[in-house]
Amino acid sequence: MVKFTAEGLRRIMDLKHNIRNMSVIAHVDHGKSTLTDSLVAAAGIIAQEVAGDVRMTDTRADEAERGITIKSTGISLYYEMTVESLENYKGEKSGHEYLINLIDSPGHVDFSSEVTAALRITDGALVVVDCVEGVCVQTETVLRQALGERIRPVLTVNKMDRCFLELQVEGEEAYQTFQRVIENANVIMATYEDPLLGDVQVYPEKGTVAFSAGLHGWAFTLTNFAKMYASKFGVDENKMMERLWGENYFDPATKKWTNKNTGSPTCKRGFVQFCYEPIKQIINTCMNDQKDKLWPMLQKLGVTMKSDEKDLVGKALMKRVMQTWLPASSALLEMMIFHLPSPAKAQRYRVENLYEGPLDDIYANAIRNCDPEGPLMLYVSKMIPASDKGRFFAFGRVFSGKVSTGMKVRIMGPNYVPGQKKDLYVKSVQRTVIWMGKRQESVEDVPCGNTVAMVGLDQFITKNATLTNEKEVDAHPIRAMKFSVSPVVRVAVQCKVASDLPKLVEGLKRLAKSDPMVVCTIEESGEHIVAGAGELHLEICLKDLQEDFMGGAEIVVSDPVVSFRETVLEKSCRTVMSKSPNKHNRLYMEARPMEEGLAEAIDDGRIGPRDDPKARSKILSEEFGWDKDLAKKIWCFGPETTGPNMVVDMCKGVQYLNEIKDSVVAGFQWASKEGALAEENMRAICFEVCDVVLHSDAIHRGGGQVIPTARRVIYASQLTAKPRLLEPVYLVEIQAPEQALGGIYGVLNQKRGHVFEELQRPGTPLYNIKAYLPVVESFGFSSTLRAATSGQAFPQCVFDHWDMMSSDPLEPGSQAGQLVADIRKRKGLKEQMTPLSEFEDKL
Amino acid sequence: MEFQSNYEILRTAEFIRSRGVSRVALQFPDELLKDSTQVAKALRRELGNGVRLYVMADTAYGSCCVDEVGASHVDAECVVHYGHACMSPTSTLPALFVFGKAFINVNACAESLHQCLSISNKPVLVLYGLEYAHAVQDLKSTMCKLLLSSESNQKLYYSEVACSSINPSGYNIKDKEQPESHGDAIADGKVLKTLESGVTNKLESGTKYTLGGLTWITPLEHKMEDYLLFWIGSDNPAFANMVLTFNGCEIVRYDAEDCKLLNDFSHQKRILKRRYFLVEKAKDANIIGILVGTLGVAGYLHIIQQMKELIERDGKKSYTIVMGRPNPAKLANFPECDVFVYVSCAQTALLDSKEFLAPVITPFEAVLAFTRGRQWTGEYIMDFQNLMTSDTGEIVDDNEGARFSFLKGCYVEDLQPHENNGDQLERSLALAEMTEKALNVRNQSTDTVLFKGTARSGAEYLAARSYQGLSMQYENAPLQSYVVGRTGRASGYENEKE
Repeated sequence: MVKFTAEGLRRIMDLKHNIRNMSVIAHVDHGKSTLTDSLVAAAGIIAQEVAGDVRMTDTRADEAERGITIKSTGISLYYEMTVESLENYKGEKSGHEYLINLIDSPGHVDFSSEVTAALRITDGALVVVDCVEGVCVQTETVLRQALGERIRPVLTVNKMDRCFLELQVEGEEAYQTFQRVIENANVIMATYEDPLLGDVQVYPEKGTVAFSAGLHGWAFTLTNFAKMYASKFGVDENKMMERLWGENYFDPATKKWTNKNTGSPTCKRGFVQFCYEPIKQIINTCMNDQKDKLWPMLQKLGVTMKSDEKDLVGKALMKRVMQTWLPASSALLEMMIFHLPSPAKAQRYRVENLYEGPLDDIYANAIRNCDPEGPLMLYVSKMIPASDKGRFFAFGRVFSGKVSTGMKVRIMGPNYVPGQKKDLYVKSVQRTVIWMGKRQESVEDVPCGNTVAMVGLDQFITKNATLTNEKEVDAHPIRAMKFSVSPVVRVAVQCKVASDLPKLVEGLKRLAKSDPMVVCTIEESGEHIVAGAGELHLEICLKDLQEDFMGGAEIVVSDPVVSFRETVLEKSCRTVMSKSPNKHNRLYMEARPMEEGLAEAIDDGRIGPRDDPKARSKILSEEFGWDKDLAKKIWCFGPETTGPNMVVDMCKGVQYLNEIKDSVVAGFQWASKEGALAEENMRAICFEVCDVVLHSDAIHRGGGQVIPTARRVIYASQLTAKPRLLEPVYLVEIQAPEQALGGIYGVLNQKRGHVFEELQRPGTPLYNIKAYLPVVESFGFSSTLRAATSGQAFPQCVFDHWDMMSSDPLEPGSQAGQLVADIRKRKGLKEQMTPLSEFEDKL
Repeated sequence: MEFQSNYEILRTAEFIRSRGVSRVALQFPDELLKDSTQVAKALRRELGNGVRLYVMADTAYGSCCVDEVGASHVDAECVVHYGHACMSPTSTLPALFVFGKAFINVNACAESLHQCLSISNKPVLVLYGLEYAHAVQDLKSTMCKLLLSSESNQKLYYSEVACSSINPSGYNIKDKEQPESHGDAIADGKVLKTLESGVTNKLESGTKYTLGGLTWITPLEHKMEDYLLFWIGSDNPAFANMVLTFNGCEIVRYDAEDCKLLNDFSHQKRILKRRYFLVEKAKDANIIGILVGTLGVAGYLHIIQQMKELIERDGKKSYTIVMGRPNPAKLANFPECDVFVYVSCAQTALLDSKEFLAPVITPFEAVLAFTRGRQWTGEYIMDFQNLMTSDTGEIVDDNEGARFSFLKGCYVEDLQPHENNGDQLERSLALAEMTEKALNVRNQSTDTVLFKGTARSGAEYLAARSYQGLSMQYENAPLQSYVVGRTGRASGYENEKE
């Protein structure tokens, strides 16, 4: 009973006011996929009866198995509004047919890059919150991310069925819980004040909050009830909506509305009286099989059941009744259609976030107006493995113009710089496809405002890209996505059989493509490295690599490897000197730790090599107490010319100094990438060039003499400044009931973690715990924690900061010393660190 | 007399006399230089005054190669090379190799070999350092006795056959000389032909291999992986060469000095992995320096030319540099090069010191790195002679997709080699192209050009440098009075002595 065809969908795609692109976001296990199912059911793709059990958008076997979503999945839904229901809609529209492009995203923090990719190509978000657990860590993270992208949110309080069946709470108590959930969400949203986006907070009385039971496939907004009662009470629908939420009480005895509880036993809050209680009554009647009572009630509500459905009993009956009375799809889809922006509307304000180029050029205008006749602007947000092995669909959103089969497009990769040929290709799109859950349908073309999958571009796109028409050489790309997690957990992979190497190489290329976050690189030692956001992420990636991308060839995976950073604790104890190979040139240097927060400022790009020197010196002098003149004498940043270390020129009146600057910088880039301790990157070290003696003949002070010397003197100054290791630390957030706290503390202690915040969630028996945990110790943390708390605690780990290890790595046998030895061994270096005397020369 | 036989004075004299040459260069490595005068004296005693002898030392490149340039300075007509040799073919001069005779305990060695045979289920192939060539005959006979006496070796008979059928021949003379044969080396015409043409050659009887002066034949149906390689000698470049070339084989090494059998070569495997990394790194390079590491090995000009073409085909820029033996300081004078290709004999080709600013790779690795769509299958060729023959055929790769860089973990675009042609065709766009290029320079920060290898040519690199050499503008320079310079030695000038 497929209600629509590809042609039908294609027709609505042209009606840009009747499109809604939205993602479903939430904390893990709050019921996104299940809820999505009930929406899909309404579109006729799966049968209404099984909605809630199928998880249509979990297309992978492992997703179904683990019961979590791993990849975000797009699905296009068709929905026809009734004429009456659209009467109140003020916005622009064309007809009653709507197309909803929905993206279900994963909730686990390890996969939040998928959420980022989903948010980029949608305009609205359905935030799903478990009514019992409330707003959780990941809810907050993704919500912030959404708002940062100028995505308008609507909220649904999910798992209502738990209130009725599991917890059996009373109306007023339930209201308080819901109220708190909504408030918590609003607190986060209120921090994003954006004149263009307007008020993004959600209000039940305005219809931007829904109440749903994804598992049972029913949901309502106050609009549903307001409509029902408006005629009965003979009041305006909007007036009725307001009465159904907040401090509005109704006493059926007096038939009067009041603003506070009169104290009379029959006086109840509007919401409780008119929404909660009726539902509760219906559910109870169904569950108790009081069919004689049920039928008249349903008749009053105008719900007609099919005859075969009347034979159902218990839960099945309840589910069916509720689905018929308050179908989740109509409540939620109507909420989206009413309150989430169409592409035409959203792109007007999102263009600033999206477009890198000048906001008044034709491309910006085309995006702003969502102009189907304008130049093509399309952002590919992710690559989806296709069913024929090795190929990928490029999945993205058309922001302006049209993309069609056979069209030649200009592909601008993430490193593209306008005016250059770098990272730029012109290729033709072999096929344009729209996604309908597990099915894909080819269409001739896709106009702006829609999501699209394209065939034939996968050879040229790693992860994401901007596409435009072949001849549009002036177009700037669409801004790259910013991820909230970073790939900190790494493993080395190698194939069991040496001759499988080409397979491994090919597999890694494909893996890198298939996931927005995974990074496949190679180490100096020649080992292939796969890096992911967390243990679970990596586990999934490696599984994909072996099974899907390497055709099952066996691989050997090393233990997780964590990269460290090298830093210094104090200023060098003395000025160190190194001589060039010909002994004619000398460099004098000192190392010192950077001021607190400076390295982070460089990481964030607040301070960097491309800054205007004046602006940079202002920040440095005002925030970090640098001397103004000194701030102008920064030679460079490193490693990779942007890293959080620098070289500062402190010399006075040295002849020929300008000649060797490039050479010193080259030596510094090299040294800061491979520190003296274990060849890890350096971090937060400032190297000061104190004095330089140079040979008077230019030939004797060339790069060959100075580059190796600069490297040596940098190492020497690092080693004399109390070198230390920095280890990466996770911020762990755990939600658990009180009885599990003991276990959590135990596990954290054992893993060198420490708790810095413990809060009870008001109105719940749950505690929110925030702790720091070294990444090294985090392997197996989830499972240990689950074991220690009998599955009640579920941690979410996100990389937070670098933490200095207090022990001295130069002291053999110390913790840091042991770590250094281990790293050196792994890298195939000499196990003994090169002593200072190798780097420092004496006069 | 120990000295006489060690330096093979008689054989050398015979060689010189038979050639009828009058000017002979004697090339010594540094460690044998102390004996050079004695050798020269002994030879003169044998040859009389008709022949002029010159002692050469401190070669510009590896001492394992024949220093033809040095020899031609004295117009020498032939070279006698002493000590360890890589046996790379020479291009102009005939050369005699005297390996010296290192001491080896033949019985102990045979014992180890025997032990090896009894453990291994593969046929064993004996290879050795050239300095042990003199002892092979002895080893053979000892082994024969050993195998005869032990009953248990019955099932290993096959491997013994394989062993004896392999004919290690330390052929000493190149160019039209008859190969000096050790034991039952093959002395027919076919051998010479195969020596010139490459590492493997199908003969009717089997596949013939040559490596670092050793040669052997295996039956056609056998691959090298089917053998256990038994190496007699120290852990020197010749051994490393062998390990890398036959990296798929099981290898044991018998150390003749310590009389020990060693079979842990994780280090060598690590080297192979490291080379793999270097190849990946080279793929990202834009500017490549070709280091001329030999002026003697036959075909070096050919391979340099081939490298240049290869690099150009891949849309990259190459510069040829002659600098003798490379060291970090010398190479750092060319910071614009992202990678160096070192064209030299097989045994000096592997240069991998962490001290080098840019990686140094071999021609074979360059072929892997700069040929689109080619992947490392595990085979490894050290000798560029083999490379020339095995790889003249172009690998046409129509795969125009972007290349995946494992260093950056993403796809990178390569400059299309055809780009220049395209530009010429579209004359009308020339102006636009020019402006585009003018924009380039501004857009890229000099830091990324200098230190992240985004420069496409030496000129672009120079343009980005903060110091570009002395400027010629003298007009406004104020006159400066001269000052007294430093005195003393560089290790500590006089004003620095405290």
